[in-house]
Amino acid sequence: MQSILSSMRALALRQSTVEPLRLLHLSAVSEAARKGTREKARKKKVKVEVKKVGFIPHNQRNKKINVKRADKHVDDSWKQVPKDDCYVGRYYRWPVYSVQEAIQCHRETHHPSMYNVPNAPLNLDIELNMQAEKITRFVDNFQRMAMIPHKFDHGEERKIIVFTKGNNEVLEAREAGASLVGGVELIKDITSGELLLSDYQYVIAHPNILAELVALRGLMKRKFPNPKSETLGTNLAEMIVKFSSGISYSAAKDEYQQNFGLITASVGTLDMDVQKLEENIKFLLQDINTMRPKREGRFITRVLLKSPPSSEQLKIDPFVYVPEMWDKSTAKVKRDGAKKQTEPAEPQEAVASN
Amino acid sequence: MLKNIYVTPLNLLKSATSLQQQVRTTFVLKRKYDPPLHKTNEKPRRMRAKNFIYELVDDTLVKKRPNIEVVLKTFVEGVGDKGDVVSMKPHFVYNKLLLPGLAAYNTPENVAKYAKTEAEKSTVKHSSPYAQRTVNMLETIVLAVVMNKDEPWVLEPWHIKASLRKTGFYCREECITLPKERIEGPDLKKENKDFYCTVTINKLEQARLKCRLHHWSTDPSERLPYVLEHWKLQSEPLLDVCSPEKTP
Repeated sequence: MQSILSSMRALALRQSTVEPLRLLHLSAVSEAARKGTREKARKKKVKVEVKKVGFIPHNQRNKKINVKRADKHVDDSWKQVPKDDCYVGRYYRWPVYSVQEAIQCHRETHHPSMYNVPNAPLNLDIELNMQAEKITRFVDNFQRMAMIPHKFDHGEERKIIVFTKGNNEVLEAREAGASLVGGVELIKDITSGELLLSDYQYVIAHPNILAELVALRGLMKRKFPNPKSETLGTNLAEMIVKFSSGISYSAAKDEYQQNFGLITASVGTLDMDVQKLEENIKFLLQDINTMRPKREGRFITRVLLKSPPSSEQLKIDPFVYVPEMWDKSTAKVKRDGAKKQTEPAEPQEAVASN
Repeated sequence: MLKNIYVTPLNLLKSATSLQQQVRTTFVLKRKYDPPLHKTNEKPRRMRAKNFIYELVDDTLVKKRPNIEVVLKTFVEGVGDKGDVVSMKPHFVYNKLLLPGLAAYNTPENVAKYAKTEAEKSTVKHSSPYAQRTVNMLETIVLAVVMNKDEPWVLEPWHIKASLRKTGFYCREECITLPKERIEGPDLKKENKDFYCTVTINKLEQARLKCRLHHWSTDPSERLPYVLEHWKLQSEPLLDVCSPEKTP
């Protein structure tokens, strides 16, 4: 009997403990949605309107869709290496010339007995892999000026305006070949409208006039001198020589293939000395290599030497002049080394320019 | 006696090893649903219909077959010389090498059998497997030799070399032999006329190259009118005796 009683008690006790808990969970408020929730959700839904597209003529359709384009990065490494001394080019890899050989080949076709254009311009087609650090990111199109040790007639009109205060610097700039050199009075002329800034392609300034030059910031916009684009500095002569005789080049990404960039630049004429042409090519390639993104693999993928009116394209090896792969540990060291290398080359340029 | 009889069949068997191949109709399958587990020492449980559903793992019919190594019995253009062991795609090997009897399977016996003898080594007929192809292609083309219309010139081997390079043939200057007669210009009588020069590949194979002279001026207004597909047109020989090796 006692055992039954105790069990009954236990049951009664248990029941008493369960009931308050039940009360807590059965509250109606916690289960129903709040008043405004459904309305909010309805508002969030955006109505997708299906637009009816009529017939579009084939020539006006978007060309980006449904067109398979060949990869512009040409890879012929699967082809054989020629072993014979006379072979059919299409079955083998492209021959890789040294710069001397390639120039010699162009000189042959431009010889007086053939095309008779011995002073034809020597153009460089540089193909770039524009992929940045990530696969989905790409290097922006860039436009730069490469300094070259040996001047040639690039055929462009480059007018340079120089702002500076000191008398010595004005003389220095005039000697270096600036189109117009002046100080505060020049700034006044521009603000009054007597002189048009748009007549000048390049604007260079000495830091001593920077305070007064700020008044022209609105007129110059992107042309305003800054040390990053190397248009603001104390060494005026060097900057002027660079902008008057350097190679102006721009890298453009392909319209349909974002990771393919192309630079077309002239490095000289065929009748120039081979050594001089080679050095110009070297400086141009090194300047391009400064834009290299921080990733593994090649940036410059192929370099072709061309010379109109001949349609020949001769492949040269750019990795004689620039490092092929990006090295994380040595990237900084190399940059310092490159700076040191350029310094002793400057006096040579001064000599060449004179 | 017995030994002598046994030797040959054994050898035959040996060379047949490379012939043995997996049956082509093999499909590697995998059960989609595993069969039910059963207790040890008991009969396996009955499988349901779904246990007989399979997934295809590998179809040996469409699998790429590996290359086959063969020993060449003779020189084969584009493949190799006699006695060379080459590795090629199986269909090419069957149809182009084994069936015509140009090659045998790569076994030590065959390698020894078809190796080049000393006499054959000394008499070289072909310098490389692709030289003959180059010769054939050089003999089919009509090479346009574009020379200047205003400046005096004498034809030299490097003119031919540059012209060949423009059309996609690469060769050295030493390979080219011009006709004995001096070809001078500019001479508009020589425009669109043929002459032959000889291209020697690897100092062995000789190709007779048909060249056609054209005159070109740097000034666009001075240029001769363009003839469409001039290489298809008939033309006259430039020299009376075209080339030293002209056959009668």
